[in-house]
Amino acid sequence: MSQEEEETPQTTTSRRTTRLSSSSNPTQNETLKKPITNLPSLTLKNLTFSHNNKPFSYDDLISSLPGRKPQIAEILRLLGPVNSPLSPLFVYGSSSTGKTSTVLQVFKYLNRPFVYSSCRSCYNARQLFDNVLNQIMLHRRSGSNGYSGVKKCEKASDFVNFLKEGLRSVVEGLDGDMVYLVFDSLELVRDWDKSCTILPLLFRLGDVLKVDGVGLVFVSGASIDTYHSDTGFVDPVPVYFPDYMEEDLRQIFMRNQSNLKLRSAFLDVVLKPFCRVTRRLDELSTALSPLYEKYCEPLDDLSVVPNEETKRRLFSCIQPHIAPALNEIFRVKSQQSLEAGGKDDLKRKTSSKKFGTSDSIDDLDFHMSTSAKYLLVSAFLASRNPATLDASFFDSTGGSANQKKKRKSSEKSRDLKEASEQEMFMKGPGTFPLERLLAIFQCITSGLEDSLEEEDGLQGGTGLGGNGGENSLMSDILLQVSSLCSANFITKGGSCPLEGSTRYRSTVSDDLALKVARSLKFPLSKYLYRR
Amino acid sequence: MSLKKAVAAEEAVVLLRTRICNPNFIFSLFNDSSDSNYSKLKFIVSSSVTEACNNSILLLGPRGCGKIAVLDLVLEDLLKEYPEMISVIKLNGLLHCDDNCAIKEIARQLCIEHELMFSKMASFDDNSQFMIDMLRECGLAHKTVIFVLDEFDLFAQGKQRLLYSLLDAMQSVSSQAVVIGVSCRLDADQLLEKRVRSRFSHRKLLFLPPQKEDLQRLAKYILLLPTDSSLPPDYVLEFNSRISNILADKRLIEVIDKLSDSDSTFSNFLRFLFSAVSYIDLKTGLMTLDNFKSALSTIHRQPKLDCLKDCSILELYIMVCMKRLEVKEQESYNFNSVMKEYKTIHDSFQTSDNYSRSVCLRAFEHLLERQLIEFADRGHNQSIEFRSVKLLIAPSELHQGLKSNRSCPAILQKLMES
Repeated sequence: MSQEEEETPQTTTSRRTTRLSSSSNPTQNETLKKPITNLPSLTLKNLTFSHNNKPFSYDDLISSLPGRKPQIAEILRLLGPVNSPLSPLFVYGSSSTGKTSTVLQVFKYLNRPFVYSSCRSCYNARQLFDNVLNQIMLHRRSGSNGYSGVKKCEKASDFVNFLKEGLRSVVEGLDGDMVYLVFDSLELVRDWDKSCTILPLLFRLGDVLKVDGVGLVFVSGASIDTYHSDTGFVDPVPVYFPDYMEEDLRQIFMRNQSNLKLRSAFLDVVLKPFCRVTRRLDELSTALSPLYEKYCEPLDDLSVVPNEETKRRLFSCIQPHIAPALNEIFRVKSQQSLEAGGKDDLKRKTSSKKFGTSDSIDDLDFHMSTSAKYLLVSAFLASRNPATLDASFFDSTGGSANQKKKRKSSEKSRDLKEASEQEMFMKGPGTFPLERLLAIFQCITSGLEDSLEEEDGLQGGTGLGGNGGENSLMSDILLQVSSLCSANFITKGGSCPLEGSTRYRSTVSDDLALKVARSLKFPLSKYLYRR
Repeated sequence: MSLKKAVAAEEAVVLLRTRICNPNFIFSLFNDSSDSNYSKLKFIVSSSVTEACNNSILLLGPRGCGKIAVLDLVLEDLLKEYPEMISVIKLNGLLHCDDNCAIKEIARQLCIEHELMFSKMASFDDNSQFMIDMLRECGLAHKTVIFVLDEFDLFAQGKQRLLYSLLDAMQSVSSQAVVIGVSCRLDADQLLEKRVRSRFSHRKLLFLPPQKEDLQRLAKYILLLPTDSSLPPDYVLEFNSRISNILADKRLIEVIDKLSDSDSTFSNFLRFLFSAVSYIDLKTGLMTLDNFKSALSTIHRQPKLDCLKDCSILELYIMVCMKRLEVKEQESYNFNSVMKEYKTIHDSFQTSDNYSRSVCLRAFEHLLERQLIEFADRGHNQSIEFRSVKLLIAPSELHQGLKSNRSCPAILQKLMES
């Protein structure tokens, strides 16, 4: 009963009021206030990896990171015995090779205090400084201190001073034990450090701080020779993490499986062809998991140990799926298409597939309003067709272009055609000003207003056939253009120096434009200029 | 017995690592001769302290040659000799190249030295006035202020206001200050403006990378364990005799030569020694020649070749197509041209590695992440399929990489050679 009473005042409030003011209601204030849970304050013990009273032995370490035994051994020997000084370490390797997990697990095994900050979650220098200082000074952001950091630190000089203080007190508190600073994803610093002061500072942090008992470990996705700096820096000691080999990948994929024999039979079939395309663990796991489900489909009982006969049968069932799966290997399916997955399989099985052609799902797997689709198609046409031919394509009746009379092309014109095709290949889609886009859009849609008025009221409710809506139509369309720009279907280029207006460019691929046009039942090929 | 040995080995390793990571220890070896930079620097600074005059000097040399270490040793000694007559202010170009920041830091350090309260809210003018007043007071009290400017070349960017105000303040009769600039750019004094350079005395000390004999001496100095430490004496004897044998071995001399041929600075050598010491087997506690050899291979990595070994077969295909396009003398090519070449290869050779365009595009992006290829243009106007690209590795490196890749199909090697 009380809920209905609340709803009526809320629906009558205008859009401008904030949520807080519209929901504030004297009778509700007490119930809205939830108790603020107080997290315990941080102590020096929080600097080490918590074990939850479970011992973590060397064997646990090796088995939790398959294929990384030599790298673990290298890091262990470089870190050395307890409280031995450390030259800065630089752990590098391509992505998803287990660098961060290895470093953290090694620190867990050695039970040494460390401060971890990732340059991916701290996206500028100030965030990085804040993060490190909060951890060193054992400060937790909570409601009581207004979620603020421990010290206001804008500049590197303040950071170094505060860090010196903090490190001295931590080292004292730990009775002289060493503290390690781990900086992860260092390659991202190259992008946000345009003035090239942060990277040399980080690499020289040991010298600049001059505090005993600090070790530095850098984890990076790129090797040290890609870090360019004006006056250079002293190189740290490198530790290289190569990509996983096939045997290691196999070991990783066999972990935590209920039916090991079945999984191993699956991997025998599938792993080798997929490894030819990529050996990155994250991509392989997303590609292999749906395939494994398909592999297990014919089996009624998932815990059965397959014999040779079953293996051959399963192989013959899965084989037609492997090739298309290879061509989709990097595709991350959206939620809708995952649900509609069953239907797509049927479509794929029935249509004949040539090896190597890209198969496209006929339907668009995202939703767009009709006017946005028309805008997209207009942008595509504007980018592909030269501006001088607009008049002939889009004449006032909005009809299709008159067919060019086919003449026998001479060799010279064929060469010219090839050269211009090559140019088109290389240069990519052209730019167009906003007025041209709107002109094409109006041409395309004006011819359809009549046909739309005959359709159901529901379909025409997108605003295209609106009578009094000429002015509001234009502002809606301009809003749509800006939303298409932010969705990266149209990019905004620099302004033309003569005219002073910004030029746009369509970045949609041919397939997507065809799909959109097909969903609108728009004859795209008639409007495309063929050289 | 073995437990004692293991404990002793660990202690020895900690001792050696402490020595290697301590620059004061390293550079105190070379300070005995009167010709060394240490003695020259000490003479200059101590004479300006005792004679109560102003001075400025630049320490120049490549990175990792001990400039800051020698300076620290000199200052340590002078602070012991003249305890009340010196105060040291340290600035770093990486942190304090902005004038406001620098003056604030100077004021803060002066306050700490003289036990005054430092106010964070003080403005630039307040701080600089404070600095000038302090310099005058110190001069009247016959106290020398030594300014150490690390990364001096970074202070010389922009308007050089700090340098000018420092050197100008030194011109007055009542001040006693020494400005020591440290830089890895050998032309750091050319970067100074005319008015700053005129106030600067053109003293320069050059720090050079070590000669090969010096490296030998240094290795002995670092690695020989001291006989009067808490380690068991027979272990120390065994360790030291092993070290002397290894250091006299011709093979080690070759290893050190190879190391110093690529980079002959102290820091590179110290990195090498650190790596070698970390290879010490804690069961025996002794160093072997193999330790040094393995250390050399870890220091001398070839990142691009390692990257090529990690590439998948599709990525190798793309790179071979790019190389073939370069051989055909196409000045600029983009992803579309690479795909065209890829298709022609598959049409002519009917290989099994024919993948769709989206898969190849993703492999292309992986190559961009690994920095084996790069965009040749600077703008972001086009999508990545149309921007021109270039290979960042030479054809010979690519060839070597193909040979070292375990799963490289033979056809790629054939395509490389044709």
